[in-house]
Amino acid sequence: MQPDLERELIRKCKTGDARFYEPLVRAYEPAGLRLAMAMMGNVEDARDALQDAFVKTYESLHRFDLRRPFGPWFFQILRNQCRDHLRSRKARFQRETIDERLELRPADSEAGPERSHQRAAAKDSLWQGLAEIGEEHREIIVLKELQGFRYAEIAQILEIPEGTVASRLYHARHALKEALLALGVSYP
Amino acid sequence: MQRVSHDDLMRFLDGEMPPDEHAVLEAQIEASSELKRELAIFRAMRTDFQELSFQPGSHRRSVWDQVNATVTRPMGWILVITGTIAWMAYGAYVFMTSPGDPWEKLATAAIVIGILTLLASVIWERYREWGSDPYKDVHR
Repeated sequence: MQPDLERELIRKCKTGDARFYEPLVRAYEPAGLRLAMAMMGNVEDARDALQDAFVKTYESLHRFDLRRPFGPWFFQILRNQCRDHLRSRKARFQRETIDERLELRPADSEAGPERSHQRAAAKDSLWQGLAEIGEEHREIIVLKELQGFRYAEIAQILEIPEGTVASRLYHARHALKEALLALGVSYP
Repeated sequence: MQRVSHDDLMRFLDGEMPPDEHAVLEAQIEASSELKRELAIFRAMRTDFQELSFQPGSHRRSVWDQVNATVTRPMGWILVITGTIAWMAYGAYVFMTSPGDPWEKLATAAIVIGILTLLASVIWERYREWGSDPYKDVHR
């Protein structure tokens, strides 16, 4: 979404007109669901957290500074919402069969069934690896690898100094590598 | 040769390093098989992550309907409650100032106040039960 359009929609929402919130919800829903899904581990909890995050965001719009980008601010709220859900509902990262709930689309599906099967198995292991590592490691990996945020944005979302992002990423990636090794996945 | 820190390795991998520093680090990594191997592992993991493309199933509805219902509901409640209070206050004023037997008015007022008290106690009881209900988050 264009930043100018986004700002205009937020300005309208701040006046209390919820109709202008719909394009924002629809624009951020796929990325939000991806982040929540990776943090919560299953679609139902992810959708609950996402829905609550959108409501909380709307209720907090009066505090939003229009000079700042909306995305990192929203993802910060969503991340906190996911953490609250994990704590309050005692929901643990529950991994479900991905292809039952989500369509997993490997980028190399044209490379033959055997190759596709290998890639699908590797990705399933990656998913298991994410379940094994702690919440703090998981969230920073998801923000970087699945969402592709820059360090400055990650720092804003996680409410940490930008200088510590690289260090936390290293420990998270290292933890994931160890978890994958324990699952029998070997990297070069 | 200066030791490459974990932070620098991450900034190099994630493209968060200025070009001059990047070139220096690239040369250091080239000279170290251990660093090259570590970098290769992280790059392979990244490739696998990038191929994880989540697409919510087409049967999944947007959360917008629920979000919309939640954000617009408070305004509805405010209007309903304000209107009800205004009508009740006006009704009570008209009833009390109308000509008629005071005993009739007192008896009617007692019935109305009694009903409202009972209603309030039931609502309060339900609210307290809901607060301690262990199954309140269980969806059908």
